Amino acid sequence: MARLIRTEKEVEGRNEEVWIVVDEDALEQWPAGPRDVVGRPQARNDGHARARGEARYTADVHFPGMLHAAVLRSPHARARVKRLDLAPALAAPGVRGTIGPGDAPELGTECEYEGAPVAAVCADSLGEARAALALVDVEWEVLEPLLDPDEAVARGSLIAPPRTHERGDFERGLAEADAVVEATFRTQTVLHNSMETHQSVCRWEGDVLEVYTSTQYVWGVRQEVADALDLPPDKVRVVCDYMGGGFGSKNSPGEYTFVAAELARRTGRPVRCALTRREEHVAAGSRNATTQRYTIGARSDGTLTALGGEFVNAVGADGWVAMTEGPMVMLYDCPNLRSTTYGAKLNLPPTKAFRAPGFVEGTFGLECALDELAAKLDLDPLELRRRNHAHSEPGGDRPYSSKNLVECYRRAEPHWERRHEVRARSTATVKRGVGMASQVWYGGGGPPSYAWIRVGSDARATVVTAMQDVGTGTKTAVAMVAAEELGIPVEHVTVAVGDSLRGPYATLSAGSSTTPSVAPAVRAAAADAKRQIQEMAEQRYGANAGKHSLRELLGVLGNAQILGTGSRGPNPTGMTVLTFGVQVAEVAVDVETGEVTVERIAAVHDVGRVINPLGASSQVEGGIIQGVGHTLSEARLVDPASGDILTTTLDAYKMPTIADVPEIVTELIDIPDTQLTNLGSKGIGEPPIIPVAAAIANAIRDATGADVRALPITREEMLRALAEAKERSREAAAAV
Amino acid sequence: MKLLQLSSLRDLDGALPIAGGTEVVPLLRQGLLEADTLADITALVPRGIEGSRIGAGATLAELEVDPQVPAALREACRLAASPQLRNMGTIGGNLLQATRCWYWRLAYPCRLHGGDRCHARDGEHREHAIFANDFCASAHPSDIAAALVALGATLSTTRRELPVRELYRLPSPDDRRTTTLERGEVILELDVPPVDASVYLKAMDRRRWAFPIVGVAAARRGVETTFALAGVAPVPWLLAGSLDDATPLAGTAYKAQIAKALVERARAAVA
Repeated sequence: MARLIRTEKEVEGRNEEVWIVVDEDALEQWPAGPRDVVGRPQARNDGHARARGEARYTADVHFPGMLHAAVLRSPHARARVKRLDLAPALAAPGVRGTIGPGDAPELGTECEYEGAPVAAVCADSLGEARAALALVDVEWEVLEPLLDPDEAVARGSLIAPPRTHERGDFERGLAEADAVVEATFRTQTVLHNSMETHQSVCRWEGDVLEVYTSTQYVWGVRQEVADALDLPPDKVRVVCDYMGGGFGSKNSPGEYTFVAAELARRTGRPVRCALTRREEHVAAGSRNATTQRYTIGARSDGTLTALGGEFVNAVGADGWVAMTEGPMVMLYDCPNLRSTTYGAKLNLPPTKAFRAPGFVEGTFGLECALDELAAKLDLDPLELRRRNHAHSEPGGDRPYSSKNLVECYRRAEPHWERRHEVRARSTATVKRGVGMASQVWYGGGGPPSYAWIRVGSDARATVVTAMQDVGTGTKTAVAMVAAEELGIPVEHVTVAVGDSLRGPYATLSAGSSTTPSVAPAVRAAAADAKRQIQEMAEQRYGANAGKHSLRELLGVLGNAQILGTGSRGPNPTGMTVLTFGVQVAEVAVDVETGEVTVERIAAVHDVGRVINPLGASSQVEGGIIQGVGHTLSEARLVDPASGDILTTTLDAYKMPTIADVPEIVTELIDIPDTQLTNLGSKGIGEPPIIPVAAAIANAIRDATGADVRALPITREEMLRALAEAKERSREAAAAV
Repeated sequence: MKLLQLSSLRDLDGALPIAGGTEVVPLLRQGLLEADTLADITALVPRGIEGSRIGAGATLAELEVDPQVPAALREACRLAASPQLRNMGTIGGNLLQATRCWYWRLAYPCRLHGGDRCHARDGEHREHAIFANDFCASAHPSDIAAALVALGATLSTTRRELPVRELYRLPSPDDRRTTTLERGEVILELDVPPVDASVYLKAMDRRRWAFPIVGVAAARRGVETTFALAGVAPVPWLLAGSLDDATPLAGTAYKAQIAKALVERARAAVA
């Protein structure tokens, strides 16, 4: 029975109260542990299609007569278009249409970052479109860019008012401390670099706009495009069959969708607008750089008495202020806390969400500072964390729906114990060590999401939900849930996703929320179908219905099909739903050349019930690899005078290669969250990337005594930290 | 743009020679190289490896596994680029690759492009030079060139024979080129004389598929050891004096430190 409820909805740390239509989530959770299907390793149901090249990504969508668009972008970090003449481009060979500022959302004349879209051209071929772009007659008034985040804060150039957190009495807490660590950490700007660049193909079928797009939110694109083009939403059909990665950068339609839609309208032809790899490096969004200044106090037994932080996010021209302070506010039980977070508005490309935005950056600072505190107090870093474990939400008594961080610490112990043996393998030039870091993140998902399931007399089922599988394996997870509920093999479940015309609403794929949001709806739909089948079977077989197999029961259907529907129920009220974990890294540092090699990372994560252990470990591996890139080699570099982006290719912007991947050991706690939905599952997309940088940096300290203070830990940062440590020990020796 | 299949290198006639294309194609696409006509020289340039002689058309992938090739050159090939690029890229083309300086690659009006300033010197230059960097701070990216310079290799072109070292020249106000190769001149063959021991050590930002932060090649004949460095100057750098003579920029001092360590390791490795 559908009803309207008022509930808290959280997306990546932003909470709001909303009214949502839900069905009762009256199903009992399955007992913990592996079931017939759920909880057992399952290869992706679309793996072969992907490997064989049969999967249709947006990049594979081609229609007869389709045109290709290219976007004119600002080559300057801050500039005004003084004059623009598109006529020479329109006259070029193959060109079918041009649009300029004001013709489509996001095209403008006031350019606040390099790559800001101004105009677009479409032509028979991409080559012709790009050649025509060069013919556009444009005069720029180049303005002085603002690039320095501290200067922006000083000048009041902010994305939003400063955000503060305060609990207890920070100053008193600091006065009570036996040891205080003051440390500043910096993190760099990194890029998502999805394998599939940002792109859309738009075509008009009568008065319906079809948008084929690489997106993390089919329904968000539908709504935003409808709003922007003043169309009823049901006149916008959004399709995303397969998706080549987004990592947070594809939550919104983007200028490429609006450009394709408008040029398709004007030309009457389908239009593709796809970013090139160079545009992807400039104009597709990024994880913002941060500066984090911590002041942390503790008693000699390690009990935290004060947590203080000032955070500056170098947001760029647009975006939001991610919770860099999140880990400090949420991870440890400390009564006294004070933080201020600034979002600097700069003439740099916008911040877009990137796999645990804020928490990846903030965990590096917090967990490194905590290890510096452990060193100062001569305490075991793992023990220090245990002593400050938060049993309920810090600063209050709001309970967690479930929390198994202590169990994570226990499971991490054997990996942590390896440090003696690892250190012993050091040589004169190569020092080895082990470090750890904790992780907190959201990941509970929430309503609304809906699913339908169709079951035929052949005992095969089709799950229909207009979610998107952004490459995380959600399609496989929901097939497993449906198979488990219906008692049929997972191979007999087909999953149809990614089409707003064909299926019901499903969540944005962000905040590790797709599986915990959609899978409970799928289970509810399967249970609804099962109930209907049982009722019908009782009409046919009476009291003997239970003696017949599902296939036999379904046999009475003939050509009819059962349609089950389900929705995601509400999250538990008055409870905080979070994911937790810990990672232990082993590194080797060449102290003469500054080379850092990550040799092993053990990841222990608590995300409730694990639906597909194989898919979950794959997510852990992906998160760790992306984290290793963030920690060691990736950095978007900018010319300090002009604000031009300098790293625009995959050889200049250095993502990790397979040779950079350490041994990865995944352990999942796999205890269902009894308060959360009919499954007790949380998401695992983001947690694994969060502690990587801090665990590596802490392992470096363990190996060398050097305090790394900036990401990426390039050779120069490593050699700087080593020289500083050497100087410190020389001074200490002199003092003695 | 046309692609010609020539029967003789004498027919080049202003066409741009192309072999593996791993450097030429990206430069053409970026507009850093202009040509109306390309000439596929793959069939016209020797590509075999026989004793000390190496055809300029030999791919890096062929060189990295050939036991006739001195260790420094094999290692330089193995540590260069990615397997896909090494399967396509030839040793002749590798010697002629342009700097990875982002300002040059983004077509800034820098000195190498004929302009009047080096943007890297005041700008972002962590990948740049520590020697001969006053006029232009770009770093030469070829691992292979450093190995060949250390090994004392010579090369023959369609017009002359010369030490590999003399293929390169530092850019100057009146001539911004970094090689002495003339238009229409094609490298045909290399001669890599035997050495008693050689090695190539490379520091990079990730473990594979990165240009050198610093590459150090060392080759020993008797008691004489020659060192040549990649990634430290606008050309492959024969280390004549001491690394203390380096003139690093604010952001490249770390390279001098790494170079010192690698030179000592290379010295020990060939001893």
